[in-house]
Amino acid sequence: MSLSAAFNVISSSFAANAAQTAIVSNNIANVNTPGYSRQIANLVTNSYGGADVASVTREANAALAEQVSTSTAQAAAQQAIADGLSTLAQTVSDSSSASTTSGANQNGASPAAMLANLQSSLATYEASPNSSSAADAAVTAAKTLTASLNSGSAAVATVREQADQNMASSVKTINSLLSQFTAANNAVVSGLQAGTSVASAQDQRDSIVTQLSQQIGVSTITAANGSMSIYTDSGVTLFQDTARAVAFTPTPTLVDGQSGSPVTVDGVPITGPNSPMPIQSGALAGYAALRDTLAPQYQAQLDQIAGGLINAFAESDQSIPPTLPSLPGLFTTAGETSLPSMSATTGLAAAIEVNPNVDPAAGGDATLLRDGGISDPGNPAYTYNSTGAAGYTDRIQQLVGAIGATQSFDPSAGLGASASLTGYTNASVSWLNGENSQASNASSYQSALATQATSALSNATGVNLDAEMTNMLNLENSYASSAKLLTTVNSMFSALLNAA
Amino acid sequence: MTMSANLVSSQFLANSLILPVTQAQSALTTAMTEESTGQYADLGLQLGDQSGYELSLKEQVSLIQTLTSANSLVSTTLATAQNALSAISTSAQSTMTSLTAWTPSANSGATLQTMGQSALQGLIASTNATSGDQYVFGGINSAVAPMSDYYSTPTSAAKTAVDQAFQTAFGVLPSDPAAAGISATAMQGFLSGPFAALFSGSAWSSDWSSASSTNTSAEIAPGQTVVTSANANEPAFQELAQAYTMLSEFGGSQLSGAAQQAVASAASSLIARGQDSLTNVQAALGETQSAVTDANSSMSSQSTILQKQVDALDNVDPNATAAQINSLTNQIQMAYELTARLQQLNLAQYLPVP
Repeated sequence: MSLSAAFNVISSSFAANAAQTAIVSNNIANVNTPGYSRQIANLVTNSYGGADVASVTREANAALAEQVSTSTAQAAAQQAIADGLSTLAQTVSDSSSASTTSGANQNGASPAAMLANLQSSLATYEASPNSSSAADAAVTAAKTLTASLNSGSAAVATVREQADQNMASSVKTINSLLSQFTAANNAVVSGLQAGTSVASAQDQRDSIVTQLSQQIGVSTITAANGSMSIYTDSGVTLFQDTARAVAFTPTPTLVDGQSGSPVTVDGVPITGPNSPMPIQSGALAGYAALRDTLAPQYQAQLDQIAGGLINAFAESDQSIPPTLPSLPGLFTTAGETSLPSMSATTGLAAAIEVNPNVDPAAGGDATLLRDGGISDPGNPAYTYNSTGAAGYTDRIQQLVGAIGATQSFDPSAGLGASASLTGYTNASVSWLNGENSQASNASSYQSALATQATSALSNATGVNLDAEMTNMLNLENSYASSAKLLTTVNSMFSALLNAA
Repeated sequence: MTMSANLVSSQFLANSLILPVTQAQSALTTAMTEESTGQYADLGLQLGDQSGYELSLKEQVSLIQTLTSANSLVSTTLATAQNALSAISTSAQSTMTSLTAWTPSANSGATLQTMGQSALQGLIASTNATSGDQYVFGGINSAVAPMSDYYSTPTSAAKTAVDQAFQTAFGVLPSDPAAAGISATAMQGFLSGPFAALFSGSAWSSDWSSASSTNTSAEIAPGQTVVTSANANEPAFQELAQAYTMLSEFGGSQLSGAAQQAVASAASSLIARGQDSLTNVQAALGETQSAVTDANSSMSSQSTILQKQVDALDNVDPNATAAQINSLTNQIQMAYELTARLQQLNLAQYLPVP
């Protein structure tokens, strides 16, 4: 080997050293960049026997990245559901008064607690039927019960409308991420064709997929040319060479029984009951489940409670034999002149009110609660206490009994077909808290999984500062050695030339 | 240059303690709330599916409380009724004693009259006893005084009816001197016939009593409804009113001694019957009183059991919470210390400055 060959080796060593130093610097600079994948220089021996940087490997782990994206999407869906349900659960929260002292109003503001209060008030009224203050108290308890149903129904509408708004902003985010993804993906494809470094474009692309999976569950496939396709977790194409249009029309007001519009991809619905391929995860799926399934089901239960109340407190014709139909008594809806059917209770929870005929605040007479005739004051057919006796308790006993009596409910609300009013309202609280607790647990669990997967991915592909520093020291030493070699070869050349 | 499998990314290392610390802090907040209230911080979330069960327990407790406080009203009413009944009984007993000692003589009729009048006034006052704003012997018609005042001005319907009956039977009023001609037999016939008819059936309801024959009832325990009053239409009230009225009306009248004797003996047998009937009423109310007492004590123990179940669902173990707070505090302190040390654990700190 000639001395000039040694020069070539030294010069390639410097070049390789510079390339490696650049990569180490890059790694160190991005030590705190989330989603950055560390780069590794691959050295090969060149024809002079020296070393060249043949390629730069981007440390990636597709399996872990998929795991991060899946668990992120699951966690986001459960979090969206848990947020909405906990808003609803506040309307039945009985932890508002945490004192252990017992009392009729310690149960919070749920319809179940208010029904129990009404039952207690009626029992008190039964013990002193001649007391007008006991009658007023019972009517007041009935009014707080209707207020609780009205506000519960309003809370459901708010949660659904909020979910609808969130769906709109989620769709907006998805579209914007898809257009960013288009740019990054194009950069990767064209970079690979041109043979330039595509590492940072790939990092960007991966980070967009992670952000996307917050909103909607996705899976990805990378083609031979490096182009990545994105599908929803249900298999609908979101991106393949070009971004697909994700569309959604918000519904600002969602009253009981009204359904919101679905999210579509290229015209195919991906949420709602009419979707052939509904998405399973991501915040969008959570909002859709809340808006289309969970909140409406709770609404249906509230409506059933309202319908059950109107029926349980209805007044029947007391004539012998009875000829007139039963009418809404203590509980009614404005202008209603017949009893609701339990299979068509939509909107009742929002509309239920205490009959003005029995409400002293509306000019009514609270003692009608004892005597009957709330439905049609003055009509003897609906008057139970025909003698007007002040100690008459039969009707009040009937009402107390009606709260505990088994009646029919529409099983489509999810709480069975037959229960007492008390049992049904309690079951509704159980259902809501159960769903909330489940979603909250699932959300914590999926968040933990997502954190785990993110850590694992970070460890697999991230930068360790100490390792990079060690590399830096190696490079420093090899630079120093190459420099020493250069000086030595140079002095050998000088000696050779001087000797001549 | 390749990295080993157990490489840890510096970013993960630097941030690894953030999550545990925030989790521990939020757990600490929860634990401290639970420590101060003794209950789970978010009961709904904690109980989940069981919250309906917990609510139903609480509802039973509150219903029992309502019934227990309503029962104290019932007990007061019953005690008032029993007081009035024993006053009526005492008065009947003393009237009976006086009657037994009574023999016809000059002016002895006035004794009978005074005896009858004061006993009747006492009977009316006792029958119209109230508890709160409720007449205890009114049946369900509890807002109206059950027995009208016989001696009222203008003349009561009952007094008018008695005078009319006497007039119809004998053609004179009791105060007429001609009444002295009425024989004992005729008097007996009148007392057991037209006069007795005034104290039963529709005559009683229209002239004497405003009470309803339907007694009040109340739920004294969940599902247990009992009759909680007696009413002034019971035979006891009718018999005593009849006895006292005849003494009061015919005692001081112009009747002969024999006729007065007939009045006195008719009255004493009526009072004896009245006392028997009164005992029945007292016994019935006494049974209700003991039923209320029994219901209260069984509801009290039931309430204790239910409250225990509620507490078992709602309450945290204070020792466990205290221990949890302790360990969370330690964990957070440890994490802080580790974070500080990890900052030092950096190769750059140990490299000589060139």
